[in-house]
Amino acid sequence: MKKLLSATGVLFLLALLLELIPEKREGIIPLYYITVVAFLGLLYILIAVFSKNKEKVETVGDVTAIILGLLIVWELATAKFDLLDKLLFPAPSVVFELFVSEWKELLKGLVSSLELLFGGYVLALLVAIPLALFIGWRKRLYRAVKPLTKVLGPIPTIVYIPYTIALLPTFKASSIFVIFIGAFWPIFINTLNGVFNVEKKIVDSAKAINVNERAMLFNVILPAAMPSIISGATIGLVLSFILLTAAEMIGATSGLGWYVKYFSDFADYPRVIVGIIFIGIVVTGITFLFDKIEGYLLRWRR
Amino acid sequence: MLRSKITLKNVSLVYEDENTDFCAIKDINFSIKKGEFVSIIGPSGCGKSTLLNLMTGLNFPTDGCILIDGEQIKGTGTERGVVFQHYSLFPWMSAQKNLVFGLKQLHRNKSKKDLEEIADRYLSMVGLKDFKNKYPSQLSGGMQQRVAIARAFAMNPSILLMDEPFGAVDAKNRVILQELLLKLWDNGSEKKTVILVTHDIDEAILLSDRIIVMSASPGTVKEEINIDFERPRERSSLIKSVKYTNLRNKLVNLFYDDLIEKIGGAEVVI
Repeated sequence: MKKLLSATGVLFLLALLLELIPEKREGIIPLYYITVVAFLGLLYILIAVFSKNKEKVETVGDVTAIILGLLIVWELATAKFDLLDKLLFPAPSVVFELFVSEWKELLKGLVSSLELLFGGYVLALLVAIPLALFIGWRKRLYRAVKPLTKVLGPIPTIVYIPYTIALLPTFKASSIFVIFIGAFWPIFINTLNGVFNVEKKIVDSAKAINVNERAMLFNVILPAAMPSIISGATIGLVLSFILLTAAEMIGATSGLGWYVKYFSDFADYPRVIVGIIFIGIVVTGITFLFDKIEGYLLRWRR
Repeated sequence: MLRSKITLKNVSLVYEDENTDFCAIKDINFSIKKGEFVSIIGPSGCGKSTLLNLMTGLNFPTDGCILIDGEQIKGTGTERGVVFQHYSLFPWMSAQKNLVFGLKQLHRNKSKKDLEEIADRYLSMVGLKDFKNKYPSQLSGGMQQRVAIARAFAMNPSILLMDEPFGAVDAKNRVILQELLLKLWDNGSEKKTVILVTHDIDEAILLSDRIIVMSASPGTVKEEINIDFERPRERSSLIKSVKYTNLRNKLVNLFYDDLIEKIGGAEVVI
Protein backbone atom coordinates (compact mmCIF):
# COMPACT_ATOMS: atom_id res chain seq x y z
CA MET A 1 0.00 0.00 0.00
CA LYS A 2 2.84 2.32 0.90
CA LYS A 3 4.35 1.65 -2.49
CA LEU A 4 1.30 3.01 -4.25
CA LEU A 5 1.49 6.29 -2.34
CA SER A 6 4.79 7.04 -4.04
CA ALA A 7 5.32 9.70 -6.70
CA THR A 8 3.92 7.31 -9.28
CA GLY A 9 0.70 6.86 -7.32
CA VAL A 10 0.27 10.57 -6.73
CA LEU A 11 0.83 11.38 -10.40
CA PHE A 12 -1.57 8.64 -11.40
CA LEU A 13 -4.36 10.11 -9.26
CA LEU A 14 -3.50 13.60 -10.45
CA ALA A 15 -3.66 12.49 -14.08
CA LEU A 16 -7.16 11.11 -13.52
CA LEU A 17 -8.41 14.00 -11.35
CA LEU A 18 -7.51 16.38 -14.16
CA GLU A 19 -10.53 15.10 -15.99
CA LEU A 20 -12.75 17.02 -13.57
CA ILE A 21 -11.55 20.19 -15.28
CA PRO A 22 -13.74 20.91 -18.29
CA GLU A 23 -12.12 20.84 -21.74
CA LYS A 24 -11.34 24.17 -23.35
CA ARG A 25 -10.88 22.65 -26.76
CA GLU A 26 -13.85 21.20 -28.60
CA GLY A 27 -14.53 17.78 -30.04
CA ILE A 28 -12.27 15.87 -27.72
CA ILE A 29 -13.20 12.44 -26.41
CA PRO A 30 -11.39 12.26 -23.03
CA LEU A 31 -11.99 8.52 -22.84
CA TYR A 32 -8.82 7.86 -24.89
CA TYR A 33 -6.66 9.86 -22.51
CA ILE A 34 -8.23 8.15 -19.50
CA THR A 35 -7.73 4.71 -21.05
CA VAL A 36 -4.02 5.33 -21.63
CA VAL A 37 -3.54 6.66 -18.08
CA ALA A 38 -5.46 3.72 -16.64
CA PHE A 39 -3.45 1.30 -18.77
CA LEU A 40 -0.16 2.76 -17.51
CA GLY A 41 -1.38 2.60 -13.92
CA LEU A 42 -2.57 -0.96 -14.29
CA LEU A 43 0.71 -2.05 -15.91
CA TYR A 44 2.66 -0.56 -13.03
CA ILE A 45 0.45 -2.17 -10.38
CA LEU A 46 0.73 -5.55 -12.09
CA ILE A 47 4.52 -5.34 -12.18
CA ALA A 48 4.67 -4.05 -8.60
CA VAL A 49 2.54 -6.94 -7.37
CA PHE A 50 4.09 -9.78 -9.37
CA SER A 51 7.76 -8.88 -9.67
CA LYS A 52 10.08 -9.90 -6.87
CA ASN A 53 12.91 -7.72 -8.10
CA LYS A 54 12.66 -4.60 -5.94
CA GLU A 55 14.98 -2.53 -8.04
CA LYS A 56 13.07 -3.34 -11.20
CA VAL A 57 9.75 -2.32 -9.61
CA GLU A 58 11.34 0.92 -8.51
CA THR A 59 12.65 1.65 -12.01
CA VAL A 60 9.34 0.79 -13.67
CA GLY A 61 7.63 3.07 -11.16
CA ASP A 62 9.99 5.95 -11.93
CA VAL A 63 9.61 5.52 -15.67
CA THR A 64 5.83 5.40 -15.31
CA ALA A 65 5.97 8.56 -13.18
CA ILE A 66 7.94 10.42 -15.86
CA ILE A 67 5.55 9.32 -18.61
CA LEU A 68 2.54 10.29 -16.49
CA GLY A 69 4.13 13.67 -15.76
CA LEU A 70 4.62 14.33 -19.48
CA LEU A 71 1.07 13.21 -20.21
CA ILE A 72 -0.32 15.57 -17.56
CA VAL A 73 1.61 18.54 -18.97
CA TRP A 74 0.49 17.62 -22.48
CA GLU A 75 -3.16 17.26 -21.44
CA LEU A 76 -3.14 20.53 -19.48
CA ALA A 77 -1.41 22.56 -22.18
CA THR A 78 -3.74 21.33 -24.92
CA ALA A 79 -7.14 19.92 -24.01
CA LYS A 80 -7.64 21.65 -20.67
CA PHE A 81 -6.22 25.16 -21.01
CA ASP A 82 -5.50 25.36 -24.75
CA LEU A 83 -2.18 27.15 -24.26
CA LEU A 84 -0.62 25.89 -27.48
CA ASP A 85 -1.47 26.12 -31.16
CA LYS A 86 -4.25 23.69 -31.90
CA LEU A 87 -2.93 22.65 -35.31
CA LEU A 88 0.63 21.99 -34.21
CA PHE A 89 -0.12 20.49 -30.81
CA PRO A 90 -3.10 18.13 -30.81
CA ALA A 91 -4.47 16.91 -27.47
CA PRO A 92 -3.49 13.43 -26.21
CA SER A 93 -6.97 12.04 -26.79
CA VAL A 94 -6.90 13.14 -30.42
CA VAL A 95 -3.61 11.33 -30.98
CA PHE A 96 -4.65 8.18 -29.13
CA GLU A 97 -7.95 8.11 -30.98
CA LEU A 98 -6.01 8.15 -34.24
CA PHE A 99 -3.94 5.18 -33.08
CA VAL A 100 -7.16 3.21 -32.92
CA SER A 101 -8.59 4.37 -36.22
CA GLU A 102 -5.28 4.23 -38.07
CA TRP A 103 -3.95 0.90 -36.88
CA LYS A 104 -4.44 -0.79 -40.22
CA GLU A 105 -2.48 1.91 -42.01
CA LEU A 106 0.24 1.77 -39.37
CA LEU A 107 0.52 -1.97 -39.61
CA LYS A 108 0.77 -1.78 -43.38
CA GLY A 109 3.50 0.82 -43.02
CA LEU A 110 5.27 -1.35 -40.47
CA VAL A 111 5.30 -4.39 -42.75
CA SER A 112 6.60 -2.33 -45.63
CA SER A 113 9.32 -0.75 -43.46
CA LEU A 114 10.41 -4.01 -41.89
CA GLU A 115 10.78 -5.54 -45.34
CA LEU A 116 13.31 -2.89 -46.26
CA LEU A 117 14.99 -2.86 -42.86
CA PHE A 118 15.50 -6.58 -42.56
CA GLY A 119 16.25 -6.96 -46.23
CA GLY A 120 19.14 -4.53 -46.02
CA TYR A 121 20.29 -5.32 -42.50
CA VAL A 122 20.23 -9.10 -42.73
CA LEU A 123 21.96 -8.93 -46.09
CA ALA A 124 24.67 -6.78 -44.48
CA LEU A 125 25.11 -9.30 -41.65
CA LEU A 126 25.29 -12.21 -44.07
CA VAL A 127 27.88 -10.54 -46.29
CA ALA A 128 29.97 -8.53 -43.80
CA ILE A 129 30.58 -11.18 -41.13
CA PRO A 130 31.85 -14.06 -43.32
CA LEU A 131 33.85 -11.66 -45.48
CA ALA A 132 35.50 -10.00 -42.47
CA LEU A 133 36.14 -13.39 -40.90
CA PHE A 134 37.88 -14.56 -44.03
CA ILE A 135 39.93 -11.37 -44.47
CA GLY A 136 40.75 -10.69 -40.81
CA TRP A 137 42.22 -14.14 -40.39
CA ARG A 138 44.70 -13.61 -43.22
CA LYS A 139 47.16 -11.05 -41.92
CA ARG A 140 48.37 -9.89 -45.31
CA LEU A 141 44.88 -9.47 -46.71
CA TYR A 142 43.89 -7.65 -43.52
CA ARG A 143 46.71 -5.16 -43.91
CA ALA A 144 45.65 -4.53 -47.50
CA VAL A 145 41.95 -4.10 -46.75
CA LYS A 146 42.29 -2.05 -43.57
CA PRO A 147 43.31 1.25 -45.29
CA LEU A 148 40.46 0.81 -47.77
CA THR A 149 37.92 0.56 -44.97
CA LYS A 150 39.32 3.76 -43.51
CA VAL A 151 38.54 5.62 -46.72
CA LEU A 152 35.23 4.00 -47.66
CA GLY A 153 33.79 3.41 -44.21
CA PRO A 154 33.31 7.00 -43.06
CA ILE A 155 31.49 8.19 -46.22
CA PRO A 156 27.99 9.09 -44.99
CA THR A 157 25.71 6.58 -46.64
CA ILE A 158 23.03 9.18 -47.30
CA VAL A 159 25.15 10.56 -50.15
CA TYR A 160 24.63 7.29 -52.01
CA ILE A 161 20.85 7.62 -52.03
CA PRO A 162 20.36 9.73 -55.21
CA TYR A 163 22.90 7.67 -57.15
CA THR A 164 21.41 4.41 -55.95
CA ILE A 165 17.93 5.50 -56.97
CA ALA A 166 19.27 6.24 -60.46
CA LEU A 167 21.18 2.98 -60.55
CA LEU A 168 18.62 0.47 -59.39
CA PRO A 169 15.26 -0.25 -61.05
CA THR A 170 12.89 0.06 -58.09
CA PHE A 171 12.65 2.15 -54.98
CA LYS A 172 12.57 -0.99 -52.89
CA ALA A 173 15.79 -2.31 -54.34
CA SER A 174 17.61 0.97 -53.89
CA SER A 175 16.41 1.37 -50.26
CA ILE A 176 17.53 -2.12 -49.39
CA PHE A 177 20.86 -1.42 -51.03
CA VAL A 178 21.36 1.84 -49.14
CA ILE A 179 20.51 0.20 -45.83
CA PHE A 180 22.83 -2.63 -46.75
CA ILE A 181 25.75 -0.25 -47.34
CA GLY A 182 25.02 1.72 -44.19
CA ALA A 183 24.92 -1.38 -42.01
CA PHE A 184 27.73 -3.14 -43.87
CA TRP A 185 30.62 -0.88 -42.89
CA PRO A 186 30.27 -0.85 -39.11
CA ILE A 187 29.63 -4.61 -39.06
CA PHE A 188 32.48 -5.30 -41.46
CA ILE A 189 35.02 -3.03 -39.74
CA ASN A 190 34.16 -4.23 -36.24
CA THR A 191 34.26 -7.88 -37.22
CA LEU A 192 37.55 -7.33 -39.03
CA ASN A 193 39.12 -5.73 -35.96
CA GLY A 194 37.59 -8.34 -33.68
CA VAL A 195 39.04 -11.17 -35.74
CA PHE A 196 42.43 -9.53 -36.07
CA ASN A 197 42.62 -8.82 -32.35
CA VAL A 198 41.62 -12.26 -31.08
CA GLU A 199 43.96 -12.95 -28.18
CA LYS A 200 47.05 -14.90 -29.15
CA LYS A 201 46.58 -17.29 -26.27
CA ILE A 202 43.18 -18.32 -27.65
CA VAL A 203 44.66 -18.99 -31.08
CA ASP A 204 47.60 -20.81 -29.50
CA SER A 205 45.46 -23.09 -27.41
CA ALA A 206 43.35 -23.87 -30.48
CA LYS A 207 46.49 -24.73 -32.41
CA ALA A 208 47.73 -26.82 -29.50
CA ILE A 209 44.65 -29.04 -29.74
CA ASN A 210 45.16 -29.28 -33.51
CA VAL A 211 41.94 -27.73 -34.76
CA ASN A 212 41.56 -27.69 -38.52
CA GLU A 213 41.10 -24.49 -40.52
CA ARG A 214 37.31 -24.68 -40.50
CA ALA A 215 36.99 -25.29 -36.78
CA MET A 216 39.51 -22.51 -36.17
CA LEU A 217 37.41 -20.00 -38.11
CA PHE A 218 33.92 -20.98 -37.04
CA ASN A 219 34.39 -22.52 -33.59
CA VAL A 220 37.24 -20.37 -32.31
CA ILE A 221 37.72 -17.08 -34.16
CA LEU A 222 34.02 -16.36 -34.72
CA PRO A 223 32.93 -16.74 -31.08
CA ALA A 224 36.10 -15.01 -29.85
CA ALA A 225 35.31 -12.00 -32.08
CA MET A 226 31.61 -12.07 -31.16
CA PRO A 227 31.74 -9.10 -28.74
CA SER A 228 33.18 -6.91 -31.51
CA ILE A 229 30.73 -8.30 -34.04
CA ILE A 230 27.81 -7.48 -31.76
CA SER A 231 28.96 -3.91 -31.19
CA GLY A 232 29.32 -3.48 -34.94
CA ALA A 233 25.88 -5.00 -35.46
CA THR A 234 24.39 -2.55 -32.93
CA ILE A 235 25.82 0.47 -34.74
CA GLY A 236 24.68 -1.05 -38.02
CA LEU A 237 21.15 -1.45 -36.72
CA VAL A 238 20.93 2.18 -35.55
CA LEU A 239 22.23 3.38 -38.92
CA SER A 240 19.70 1.14 -40.66
CA PHE A 241 16.83 2.85 -38.80
CA ILE A 242 18.09 6.27 -39.82
CA LEU A 243 18.65 5.29 -43.44
CA LEU A 244 15.33 3.49 -43.66
CA THR A 245 13.37 6.53 -42.56
CA ALA A 246 15.48 8.84 -44.71
CA ALA A 247 14.97 6.66 -47.77
CA GLU A 248 11.24 6.39 -47.13
CA MET A 249 10.89 10.13 -46.73
CA ILE A 250 12.66 10.71 -50.02
CA GLY A 251 11.00 8.29 -52.38
CA ALA A 252 8.63 5.75 -50.88
CA THR A 253 4.88 5.33 -51.30
CA SER A 254 4.47 3.30 -48.13
CA GLY A 255 6.22 2.67 -44.85
CA LEU A 256 6.50 4.51 -41.57
CA GLY A 257 8.89 7.22 -42.77
CA TRP A 258 6.59 7.82 -45.70
CA TYR A 259 3.58 8.01 -43.36
CA VAL A 260 5.14 10.83 -41.34
CA LYS A 261 6.36 12.69 -44.41
CA TYR A 262 3.08 12.29 -46.31
CA PHE A 263 0.89 13.68 -43.55
CA SER A 264 3.22 16.54 -42.73
CA ASP A 265 2.85 17.59 -46.37
CA PHE A 266 -0.85 17.96 -45.59
CA ALA A 267 -0.14 19.65 -42.25
CA ASP A 268 -1.95 16.74 -40.58
CA TYR A 269 0.17 16.94 -37.44
CA PRO A 270 -1.89 14.59 -35.27
CA ARG A 271 -1.05 11.81 -37.75
CA VAL A 272 2.57 12.95 -37.86
CA ILE A 273 2.76 12.57 -34.09
CA VAL A 274 1.05 9.19 -34.30
CA GLY A 275 3.68 8.13 -36.84
CA ILE A 276 6.55 9.36 -34.69
CA ILE A 277 5.28 7.65 -31.54
CA PHE A 278 4.66 4.45 -33.48
CA ILE A 279 8.20 4.52 -34.92
CA GLY A 280 9.46 4.97 -31.36
CA ILE A 281 7.53 1.92 -30.21
CA VAL A 282 8.76 -0.18 -33.15
CA VAL A 283 12.39 0.81 -32.65
CA THR A 284 12.13 0.03 -28.94
CA GLY A 285 10.69 -3.38 -29.76
CA ILE A 286 13.45 -4.22 -32.22
CA THR A 287 16.16 -2.97 -29.87
CA PHE A 288 14.67 -5.06 -27.07
CA LEU A 289 14.78 -8.15 -29.28
CA PHE A 290 18.34 -7.31 -30.31
CA ASP A 291 19.43 -7.00 -26.68
CA LYS A 292 17.93 -10.41 -25.95
CA ILE A 293 19.88 -11.95 -28.82
CA GLU A 294 23.06 -10.20 -27.66
CA GLY A 295 22.52 -11.44 -24.11
CA TYR A 296 22.17 -14.98 -25.41
CA LEU A 297 25.20 -14.86 -27.70
CA LEU A 298 27.43 -13.33 -25.04
CA ARG A 299 26.02 -15.26 -22.07
CA TRP A 300 29.50 -16.60 -21.35
CA ARG A 301 30.83 -13.14 -20.56
CA ARG A 302 28.93 -12.62 -17.32
CA MET B 1 63.01 -46.30 -22.22
CA LEU B 2 66.17 -46.20 -24.26
CA ARG B 3 65.00 -44.51 -27.39
CA SER B 4 65.09 -40.77 -27.42
CA LYS B 5 61.60 -39.34 -27.71
CA ILE B 6 62.47 -35.68 -27.99
CA THR B 7 65.80 -34.35 -29.17
CA LEU B 8 66.90 -30.74 -29.30
CA LYS B 9 69.96 -30.02 -31.42
CA ASN B 10 71.62 -26.61 -31.15
CA VAL B 11 68.27 -24.91 -30.79
CA SER B 12 68.48 -21.13 -30.86
CA LEU B 13 65.81 -18.48 -31.20
CA VAL B 14 66.62 -14.92 -32.15
CA TYR B 15 63.93 -12.27 -32.27
CA GLU B 16 64.83 -9.82 -34.97
CA ASP B 17 63.97 -6.25 -34.22
CA GLU B 18 64.60 -3.26 -36.45
CA ASN B 19 68.03 -2.53 -35.05
CA THR B 20 68.88 -5.12 -32.46
CA ASP B 21 68.57 -8.87 -32.46
CA PHE B 22 67.37 -10.32 -29.21
CA CYS B 23 68.64 -13.80 -28.54
CA ALA B 24 65.98 -15.53 -26.45
CA ILE B 25 67.59 -18.95 -26.29
CA LYS B 26 70.93 -20.13 -27.50
CA ASP B 27 72.39 -23.50 -28.43
CA ILE B 28 70.16 -25.74 -26.42
CA ASN B 29 70.98 -29.41 -26.60
CA PHE B 30 69.26 -32.17 -24.75
CA SER B 31 67.31 -35.29 -25.40
CA ILE B 32 64.48 -36.80 -23.48
CA LYS B 33 63.83 -40.49 -23.36
CA LYS B 34 60.49 -42.05 -23.96
CA GLY B 35 58.52 -42.14 -20.74
CA GLU B 36 60.84 -39.76 -18.97
CA PHE B 37 59.56 -37.03 -16.67
CA VAL B 38 61.71 -33.94 -17.06
CA SER B 39 61.34 -30.57 -15.36
CA ILE B 40 62.81 -27.36 -16.65
CA ILE B 41 63.54 -24.73 -14.05
CA GLY B 42 65.24 -21.38 -14.22
CA PRO B 43 64.76 -17.72 -13.38
CA SER B 44 62.09 -15.77 -15.18
CA GLY B 45 63.23 -14.60 -18.58
CA CYS B 46 65.48 -17.60 -19.13
CA GLY B 47 63.37 -18.69 -22.06
CA LYS B 48 61.86 -21.82 -20.54
CA SER B 49 58.37 -20.98 -21.75
CA THR B 50 59.78 -20.00 -25.14
CA LEU B 51 61.48 -23.36 -25.31
CA LEU B 52 58.24 -25.12 -24.50
CA ASN B 53 56.47 -23.14 -27.25
CA LEU B 54 59.09 -24.38 -29.70
CA MET B 55 58.48 -27.96 -28.64
CA THR B 56 54.74 -27.37 -28.95
CA GLY B 57 55.28 -26.20 -32.51
CA LEU B 58 53.74 -22.76 -32.08
CA ASN B 59 57.04 -21.16 -33.01
CA PHE B 60 60.13 -22.34 -34.82
CA PRO B 61 63.78 -22.10 -33.88
CA THR B 62 65.92 -19.74 -35.96
CA ASP B 63 68.70 -22.26 -35.71
CA GLY B 64 68.97 -25.93 -34.88
CA CYS B 65 66.15 -28.43 -34.88
CA ILE B 66 63.72 -30.26 -32.66
CA LEU B 67 63.07 -33.92 -33.35
CA ILE B 68 60.22 -36.02 -32.05
CA ASP B 69 60.61 -39.75 -32.64
CA GLY B 70 63.48 -38.82 -34.94
CA GLU B 71 61.44 -36.48 -37.09
CA GLN B 72 61.68 -32.74 -37.22
CA ILE B 73 58.48 -31.07 -36.02
CA LYS B 74 56.54 -28.98 -38.49
CA GLY B 75 53.94 -27.50 -36.17
CA THR B 76 51.61 -28.71 -33.49
CA GLY B 77 50.78 -32.37 -33.37
CA THR B 78 48.23 -34.71 -31.83
CA GLU B 79 50.95 -36.69 -30.06
CA ARG B 80 51.70 -33.61 -27.97
CA GLY B 81 49.30 -32.22 -25.35
CA VAL B 82 49.85 -28.79 -23.90
CA VAL B 83 48.88 -27.08 -20.67
CA PHE B 84 49.66 -23.39 -20.84
CA GLN B 85 50.57 -21.13 -17.98
CA HIS B 86 47.64 -18.84 -18.76
CA TYR B 87 44.27 -20.52 -18.60
CA SER B 88 43.87 -21.55 -22.16
CA LEU B 89 40.19 -22.45 -22.10
CA PHE B 90 37.72 -21.08 -24.61
CA PRO B 91 35.61 -18.65 -22.59
CA TRP B 92 32.45 -19.21 -24.65
CA MET B 93 32.40 -22.95 -23.95
CA SER B 94 31.38 -24.61 -20.70
CA ALA B 95 34.00 -26.72 -18.94
CA GLN B 96 32.56 -29.88 -20.48
CA LYS B 97 32.31 -28.30 -23.95
CA ASN B 98 35.97 -27.30 -23.72
CA LEU B 99 36.93 -30.92 -23.24
CA VAL B 100 34.51 -32.21 -25.84
CA PHE B 101 35.77 -29.68 -28.38
CA GLY B 102 39.33 -30.84 -27.78
CA LEU B 103 38.33 -34.49 -28.04
CA LYS B 104 36.36 -33.86 -31.22
CA GLN B 105 39.53 -32.76 -32.98
CA LEU B 106 40.98 -36.19 -32.22
CA HIS B 107 38.03 -38.50 -32.59
CA ARG B 108 36.06 -37.28 -35.55
CA ASN B 109 33.74 -40.28 -35.71
CA LYS B 110 32.86 -40.71 -32.05
CA SER B 111 29.38 -39.70 -31.00
CA LYS B 112 28.76 -36.63 -28.92
CA LYS B 113 27.57 -38.82 -26.08
CA ASP B 114 30.79 -40.83 -26.04
CA LEU B 115 32.89 -37.69 -26.01
CA GLU B 116 30.82 -36.23 -23.19
CA GLU B 117 31.36 -39.40 -21.21
CA ILE B 118 35.13 -39.14 -21.62
CA ALA B 119 34.97 -35.45 -20.72
CA ASP B 120 32.97 -36.15 -17.57
CA ARG B 121 35.38 -38.86 -16.52
CA TYR B 122 38.36 -36.51 -16.73
CA LEU B 123 36.47 -33.64 -15.12
CA SER B 124 35.70 -35.82 -12.14
CA MET B 125 39.38 -36.79 -11.97
CA VAL B 126 40.25 -33.15 -11.34
CA GLY B 127 37.27 -32.85 -9.00
CA LEU B 128 35.15 -30.59 -11.17
CA LYS B 129 32.33 -32.80 -12.37
CA ASP B 130 29.75 -30.62 -10.63
CA PHE B 131 31.08 -27.61 -12.49
CA LYS B 132 30.89 -29.09 -15.97
CA ASN B 133 28.22 -26.69 -17.18
CA LYS B 134 29.96 -23.58 -15.86
CA TYR B 135 31.68 -21.14 -18.16
CA PRO B 136 35.36 -20.36 -17.45
CA SER B 137 34.39 -16.87 -16.23
CA GLN B 138 32.34 -18.57 -13.50
CA LEU B 139 35.33 -20.60 -12.29
CA SER B 140 38.31 -19.51 -10.21
CA GLY B 141 41.76 -19.37 -11.80
CA GLY B 142 42.77 -22.63 -10.18
CA MET B 143 39.59 -24.35 -11.34
CA GLN B 144 40.11 -23.12 -14.88
CA GLN B 145 43.60 -24.56 -14.84
CA ARG B 146 42.26 -27.89 -13.62
CA VAL B 147 39.85 -27.95 -16.56
CA ALA B 148 42.75 -27.17 -18.90
CA ILE B 149 44.73 -30.02 -17.36
CA ALA B 150 41.75 -32.34 -17.69
CA ARG B 151 41.49 -31.37 -21.36
CA ALA B 152 45.15 -32.16 -22.00
CA PHE B 153 44.89 -35.49 -20.16
CA ALA B 154 41.62 -36.46 -21.84
CA MET B 155 43.25 -36.17 -25.24
CA ASN B 156 45.73 -38.81 -24.08
CA PRO B 157 48.85 -37.60 -25.89
CA SER B 158 52.12 -39.50 -25.63
CA ILE B 159 53.94 -36.27 -24.77
CA LEU B 160 52.70 -33.75 -22.23
CA LEU B 161 54.16 -30.27 -22.35
CA MET B 162 53.25 -28.24 -19.29
CA ASP B 163 54.10 -24.62 -18.65
CA GLU B 164 53.84 -23.83 -14.93
CA PRO B 165 50.51 -25.63 -14.84
CA PHE B 166 50.06 -25.46 -11.08
CA GLY B 167 51.24 -21.90 -10.59
CA ALA B 168 47.76 -20.54 -9.95
CA VAL B 169 46.40 -23.55 -8.09
CA ASP B 170 46.12 -23.39 -4.31
CA ALA B 171 48.44 -25.53 -2.17
CA LYS B 172 45.95 -28.33 -1.45
CA ASN B 173 44.80 -28.75 -5.02
CA ARG B 174 48.37 -28.50 -6.23
CA VAL B 175 49.29 -31.62 -4.28
CA ILE B 176 46.20 -33.41 -5.60
CA LEU B 177 47.01 -32.41 -9.16
CA GLN B 178 50.65 -33.39 -8.82
CA GLU B 179 49.59 -36.85 -7.64
CA LEU B 180 47.09 -37.01 -10.48
CA LEU B 181 49.78 -36.05 -12.97
CA LEU B 182 52.02 -38.85 -11.70
CA LYS B 183 49.16 -41.30 -11.87
CA LEU B 184 48.32 -40.37 -15.44
CA TRP B 185 51.95 -40.30 -16.43
CA ASP B 186 52.40 -43.91 -15.34
CA ASN B 187 48.98 -45.41 -15.98
CA GLY B 188 50.10 -48.98 -16.47
CA SER B 189 50.59 -49.68 -20.14
CA GLU B 190 52.93 -47.02 -21.41
CA LYS B 191 54.47 -44.07 -19.66
CA LYS B 192 53.94 -40.67 -21.19
CA THR B 193 56.85 -38.36 -21.77
CA VAL B 194 56.39 -35.25 -19.67
CA ILE B 195 58.15 -31.92 -19.82
CA LEU B 196 57.19 -29.64 -16.99
CA VAL B 197 58.28 -26.02 -16.81
CA THR B 198 58.11 -24.81 -13.24
CA HIS B 199 59.68 -22.37 -10.83
CA ASP B 200 58.82 -24.54 -7.86
CA ILE B 201 61.99 -26.44 -6.93
CA ASP B 202 60.20 -28.87 -4.61
CA GLU B 203 57.68 -29.69 -7.28
CA ALA B 204 60.51 -30.38 -9.73
CA ILE B 205 62.30 -32.72 -7.31
CA LEU B 206 59.16 -34.56 -6.26
CA LEU B 207 57.95 -35.24 -9.77
CA SER B 208 60.92 -35.54 -12.09
CA ASP B 209 63.42 -38.09 -13.27
CA ARG B 210 65.65 -35.28 -14.36
CA ILE B 211 65.81 -31.53 -13.89
CA ILE B 212 67.17 -29.20 -16.53
CA VAL B 213 68.34 -25.93 -15.02
CA MET B 214 68.42 -22.96 -17.36
CA SER B 215 70.09 -19.60 -17.00
CA ALA B 216 69.02 -16.33 -18.52
CA SER B 217 70.11 -13.92 -21.25
CA PRO B 218 70.54 -15.71 -23.43
CA GLY B 219 68.63 -18.75 -22.28
CA THR B 220 70.96 -21.72 -22.11
CA VAL B 221 71.07 -25.04 -20.32
CA LYS B 222 73.16 -24.58 -17.22
CA GLU B 223 73.01 -28.02 -15.74
CA GLU B 224 71.13 -31.27 -15.84
CA ILE B 225 70.52 -33.13 -12.65
CA ASN B 226 69.22 -36.67 -12.38
CA ILE B 227 66.78 -37.30 -9.60
CA ASP B 228 67.04 -40.93 -8.60
CA PHE B 229 64.66 -41.14 -5.66
CA GLU B 230 62.67 -44.30 -5.89
CA ARG B 231 59.09 -44.19 -6.95
CA PRO B 232 56.46 -43.98 -5.66
CA ARG B 233 57.87 -41.08 -3.71
CA GLU B 234 56.54 -40.43 -0.27
CA ARG B 235 56.30 -36.68 0.03
CA SER B 236 56.67 -36.26 3.78
CA SER B 237 59.58 -38.65 4.33
CA LEU B 238 61.37 -37.47 1.21
CA ILE B 239 61.40 -33.88 2.34
CA LYS B 240 63.05 -34.86 5.62
CA SER B 241 65.92 -36.80 4.03
CA VAL B 242 69.42 -35.35 3.90
CA LYS B 243 69.78 -36.24 0.26
CA TYR B 244 66.72 -34.18 -0.51
CA THR B 245 68.01 -31.19 1.44
CA ASN B 246 71.38 -31.31 -0.32
CA LEU B 247 69.72 -31.57 -3.70
CA ARG B 248 67.42 -28.74 -2.90
CA ASN B 249 70.27 -26.51 -1.74
CA LYS B 250 72.20 -27.27 -4.87
CA LEU B 251 69.24 -26.32 -7.03
CA VAL B 252 68.53 -23.16 -5.06
CA ASN B 253 72.13 -22.09 -5.55
CA LEU B 254 71.99 -22.81 -9.26
CA PHE B 255 68.69 -21.03 -9.48
CA TYR B 256 69.78 -17.85 -7.79
CA ASP B 257 73.38 -17.71 -9.02
CA ASP B 258 72.30 -15.80 -12.02
CA LEU B 259 70.34 -13.36 -10.00
CA ILE B 260 73.14 -12.60 -7.59
CA GLU B 261 75.68 -12.18 -10.36
CA LYS B 262 73.39 -9.82 -12.14
CA ILE B 263 72.84 -7.55 -9.22
CA GLY B 264 76.60 -7.34 -8.84
CA GLY B 265 77.47 -9.84 -6.17
CA ALA B 266 75.56 -8.01 -3.48
CA GLU B 267 73.54 -10.18 -1.15
CA VAL B 268 70.00 -10.55 -2.22
CA VAL B 269 67.20 -10.84 0.23
CA ILE B 270 64.39 -12.86 -1.18
